[in-house]
Amino acid sequence: MAMAQNPSKKRVSDTLFYVLYVFVAILFLAPLLFLFISAMKEETQLISDMTTLKAFVPYGNMSFDNYVQVFEKIDFLHYFRNSAVNAIIQVAVGLFINGMMGYALGLLEFRGRKFLISLMISLTIIPTEAVVINRFLVAVNMGVVNTVWALALPNLAIPMYVYLFYQHFRGMPKDLVEAAIIDGESYTGIFFKIMTPLSKPIYATVAIMSFIRAWGDLLWPTLVVRDNTWMTLPQKLRSLNDNVYVYWGQIFAFSAMVTLPILIVFLVFQKQFVQSVAMSGIKG
Amino acid sequence: MSDTVLRKTANHRSRLTRSQEHAAWILCSPAMILLILFMILPFFMSVFYSFTSRQLVVSAKRPTTFVGLTNYQKVFTDEVTVKSFWNTLEYTLILVPCVLVFATLLALLVNRKARGVTIFRLIYFSPQVVTMTVVTVIWSAFFSSMDNGLFNVIIGAFGVPAQKWLQDPNLAMPCIAIMSIWQCLGMQMMIVLGGLQFIPEEIYEAGTIDGCTPWQELIYITIPQLKNTLVYVFISNTIYSLKMFTQVFMLTQGGPSNSTTTLVYRMYEEGFTNKRVGRTSALAVVFFLIVLVISQVQNRITEDK
Repeated sequence: MAMAQNPSKKRVSDTLFYVLYVFVAILFLAPLLFLFISAMKEETQLISDMTTLKAFVPYGNMSFDNYVQVFEKIDFLHYFRNSAVNAIIQVAVGLFINGMMGYALGLLEFRGRKFLISLMISLTIIPTEAVVINRFLVAVNMGVVNTVWALALPNLAIPMYVYLFYQHFRGMPKDLVEAAIIDGESYTGIFFKIMTPLSKPIYATVAIMSFIRAWGDLLWPTLVVRDNTWMTLPQKLRSLNDNVYVYWGQIFAFSAMVTLPILIVFLVFQKQFVQSVAMSGIKG
Repeated sequence: MSDTVLRKTANHRSRLTRSQEHAAWILCSPAMILLILFMILPFFMSVFYSFTSRQLVVSAKRPTTFVGLTNYQKVFTDEVTVKSFWNTLEYTLILVPCVLVFATLLALLVNRKARGVTIFRLIYFSPQVVTMTVVTVIWSAFFSSMDNGLFNVIIGAFGVPAQKWLQDPNLAMPCIAIMSIWQCLGMQMMIVLGGLQFIPEEIYEAGTIDGCTPWQELIYITIPQLKNTLVYVFISNTIYSLKMFTQVFMLTQGGPSNSTTTLVYRMYEEGFTNKRVGRTSALAVVFFLIVLVISQVQNRITEDK
């Protein structure tokens, strides 16, 4: 009797859980749906829909007109190129130099190693916001303002990433290094030829973290890029949002295209994405 | 004979350590040079300039002079700056408890072995990938202050009068907190979930044998076992909210009537609109000290085991 009762009870509670899951999912997805649906609506319909739940329903005159306008009138590709170049430099060069330092701290023995490790840990505490104005003065003195170097250079070496790489490489077997040295490999060669290929997951994790950071940053680009030449997507979105003459449809289409690249990376690299979350959790 | 072999090995050894030393410094130097230039140097500049009258553009008319503690005095007496402390505190007091409670609830909700549950986890996580500037664009449409704005229509259905939302000094900060919570909640849920999956199954089994109710299980097993994770979520979100800038910069520029001026936004204003590097540096140093104290609190609490 009791045995027969249990499964049906379980089925009820399972259904209840799924109802809850779907309800919460709607809460999380609704704003995103709103964005992508609105970006395809014609302006008058969009504005009248925005006052009701119709804002979340794709119907009526759906088209890519807003997207076309964003390419033609706002020159989306220019700002996209700026953001992409900046993000690619930050991710690629950042992985390279932070990884090298993490490897040296984790696997090599040298004078000053202990000092550098505690220096990295202390530096992770300093928020960039607390040094931003004087960092700006440094950039001005270097004469890089309004160039891509101003955007990228200060964001290449990140103490947190060095620390993550250090923790990763510290866990690698030292015998591997010693064996390679006996085979006549150099310490630098070991990093590039042996350690890097063995460390793909940590590279993927840090790459995702630094890409998100580079793609969304608004404060630093606002300070160092004052003209159109290297203006990034978030900066341009801000000026569109401030401009009363820009159509909502175009702002949404622009926003949708800012979001898409990360959304795609997310869908492709879900595991690494979640991993990068777990990683940021170890920070001591 | 054996002596030469020994000496040879010793030589070889020291050559190895030397080449290791060289390699290490070469490998560290790119990152170190950049950190010195853009992190350590600006940090010491902040400390130094905080005692001076340094302006953004130095001219003969406004030379940089030592002013003692005047800038620090201003941090605690300037009306807008003092308000920015309270505003930041208000934002933190809304965001952090909400994130802590909802992230834990969500994590408990999805911590089941059910079909499709991983897909729901990913859906809850997905707002994390939306850039903050885009988040503010979406939510500012919802928080339209017009009578027929979406949220006004929704609350109108319950008989609540229309609100000005982001243009209301009392509501602007809670509105910003809501959109920020929507964005970061999924990620915090994942962190708590990671903590939950670390709790050994045996403890729950022992609890079941002792006749624990689900409620007792939560209070006496889950939450104490999650302590370190929850402390981490608490501290990291506190620091995260102290740094809030983008939302204000996109939506309100500190308004209405300075009700959303946050610490970092105030630094931006003082440094780049008012061009007072000295004062901004003093504010930056105070900001750093606050963050430092909070991160030390975390170390203290989590260390005791």
